[in-house]
Amino acid sequence: MKAKYIYKCLMISFAALLLGSCSSPEVDAKFDQNATERLSGRQKELNDLLLSSAEGWKAVYYTDSTQLGGWTHLFKFLPEGKVDMASDFDSDTKTYTSQYDIQVGSTVSLVFTTENRIHLLSNAADYPTAGLLAKGYLGDFQFYYYGQKNGDIIFRTNRNGHFLRFVKATAQDWTDLPKNTPIISNITGDMTSPLFRLLEINDGTTTKSYDFDYNTDARFGTGYSLDPAVNTSYDLAFSFNPTGAYSKTPLDVKGQKLTDFLYSSTDNTFVATGKDGVKATIKYTNAPPIVTDDYKNFVNGKPQMVLGYIAANLYTAPTTSDYFRFLITKVNASLPAAQSISRIQVFFNSAFGTYIEYRFNGGKPSIYHNLTTTENSANKTLVLVHDSWDDGAALIAAPAFLKDIDAQFTNPIGFYIKKENFKISFSNVIYTMTSASSSFRMTTYQL
Amino acid sequence: MKIFKTYKTVVIAGVLLLASCAQEDQPKESQLDFSVPVKTDLDKWIGTNFLDPYNIAVYYEWNQNLVDNNKYLFPPLVSKVQPAMEVVKKIWIDSYSTIGGANFVKKIAPREFVLVGGVNLNTNGTVTLGLAEAGQRVSLFQIDNLNKKSRASVTQFIHTIQHEYVHILNQTKPFDEQAWSKLTPSGYTSTWYNEATATSRSLGFITSYARLNIYEDFAETAATILTSSKAEYDAILAGVTDATAKANIKAKEAIVVKYYKDAYNVDFYALRDEAQKNTDAVINN
Repeated sequence: MKAKYIYKCLMISFAALLLGSCSSPEVDAKFDQNATERLSGRQKELNDLLLSSAEGWKAVYYTDSTQLGGWTHLFKFLPEGKVDMASDFDSDTKTYTSQYDIQVGSTVSLVFTTENRIHLLSNAADYPTAGLLAKGYLGDFQFYYYGQKNGDIIFRTNRNGHFLRFVKATAQDWTDLPKNTPIISNITGDMTSPLFRLLEINDGTTTKSYDFDYNTDARFGTGYSLDPAVNTSYDLAFSFNPTGAYSKTPLDVKGQKLTDFLYSSTDNTFVATGKDGVKATIKYTNAPPIVTDDYKNFVNGKPQMVLGYIAANLYTAPTTSDYFRFLITKVNASLPAAQSISRIQVFFNSAFGTYIEYRFNGGKPSIYHNLTTTENSANKTLVLVHDSWDDGAALIAAPAFLKDIDAQFTNPIGFYIKKENFKISFSNVIYTMTSASSSFRMTTYQL
Repeated sequence: MKIFKTYKTVVIAGVLLLASCAQEDQPKESQLDFSVPVKTDLDKWIGTNFLDPYNIAVYYEWNQNLVDNNKYLFPPLVSKVQPAMEVVKKIWIDSYSTIGGANFVKKIAPREFVLVGGVNLNTNGTVTLGLAEAGQRVSLFQIDNLNKKSRASVTQFIHTIQHEYVHILNQTKPFDEQAWSKLTPSGYTSTWYNEATATSRSLGFITSYARLNIYEDFAETAATILTSSKAEYDAILAGVTDATAKANIKAKEAIVVKYYKDAYNVDFYALRDEAQKNTDAVINN
């Protein structure tokens, strides 16, 4: 009997469950449409939006403003999944066509599906700092549709979820894009541009200088205080426009946030101006921000010191300047094929006086330039003054093929000499000789 | 009676079950977008040359599900896709079809090619040229850099495909792994990328990458022979001065040749000659 009752109870409760389960099929809908309809609706909405702007869209893409600047991109979306694109990533600001797609996954995303300018930011093999090896410029080209705000389209980038804003472009934006290139060249400089950059910050009453360490590829720079007691630094993440640079990370001076650095062609500076005399200036200088007294070991009357540039090890040194390399290459080009400069050794206060030895590969004998030195204690430089040339046996006329490079050594304003704190290939101390009047800098071993 | 009662309950329950949801809306047409995307000329070319005859899909448009999202890679230039796939067709498919039979590649082949424009650079500085996943998908990198007129460029590119295809053949029919692993057991290393090619050859390996494990060793040995002319391969052997190393490379070569014969009835040297003939045709046209 017991089992029968249990069975009956079970059957009744089963029937009750069955009857009850569909008793109220109506569920309060949270949305007017189901998930699929909403996703495909978003897909169509985004595509219509992209196609709606006649002059396309502009996006200044900051991939990571803690270490990189921004790159301006212009997009014009066309029917059949085509897109025209231009960018100021390099001097090629021309427009190229590729394909795009609105993909649906967990949400709707815009994907640039075939190669164009935006993909330059995600090239593993092209990275601006050693820390970004295999990561390129940390760029994405798949952007999740987040919404619209004031006519702009807001996306979130695929890998790091940063916000990216597409703003409606104008015809002016397309004509202006190539004008970013000369501005970028001004801050990048060339081989004859002074080697050092300063960030001068005027807070309305006093001006403080910062050593501005700027990476032209990364479009990112940091100003370090020249006063060892002050531990302040300023990061600037630049993007460019036809009038100057914009920093996404503002420079905070007395509560004022400076972001727009206008280029001044008269003195080759970038200046951000605030209220009440507040100003920040980025400028080039031939004088190192921090000048050392290291030159004093080389003045008259000191013991012999020999500084040797050895081509095989020091041509590629990071402290060897492009202008120095240019002059070396020029000398080598004027020599027969098998010959080239192997060393430039500067002997200070030797038994034979002070002189430069130009040493060659390929059996060509050395040439010596005999000099005297004078000290400029105000500038903290050492000036090398011409005396005579010889070939080790007899006096000779000044060799024409060494004229340009030698003129740098005997420039009347002289050299900054700095003992560096790094080593290259050997344990020898590294010294750099930096011209006070040009971008000529030679890296040497103390021999 | 008891049984009848039991059945009655079951019948009532069944009727209720079937009838309970009868008034629900029936599904309408699918809400998914099944419209066929616009096909470009390139899509049509891929259809005619890979999808229809060999059932191989070629993906050149970006799909993040097909690549490693931790890598900074990008899709190829559209203009580079067809030239690259022509090289694949001519040197890889045509060579195997001629020597192994018209259906060889139709039966055993990766079903998907994923093309990537950029270099797959790893954080240890090495470069991954290709990947074969589960015998189904082959990813090819650096499509943008392929120069059809340069033998070195074509050889490196086709080496990647030959290498990955050897993996797929091995995954279908294994080679004599025991015999292979006895030849140079001590030379394998996970830091193969620090080793010079000459050093690796003096230890009995055809390339440094071959030193990763016996499977890479087999694939590298086969792919190197397939992408070299007889004279080029002889020159490689002639450059190996260590007699044991040379003997080991030759022993590996013998296992490769035997594998192709036993597993697939393919004359490996004829395949090599055909691939070389087709390589010449690609470069000279």
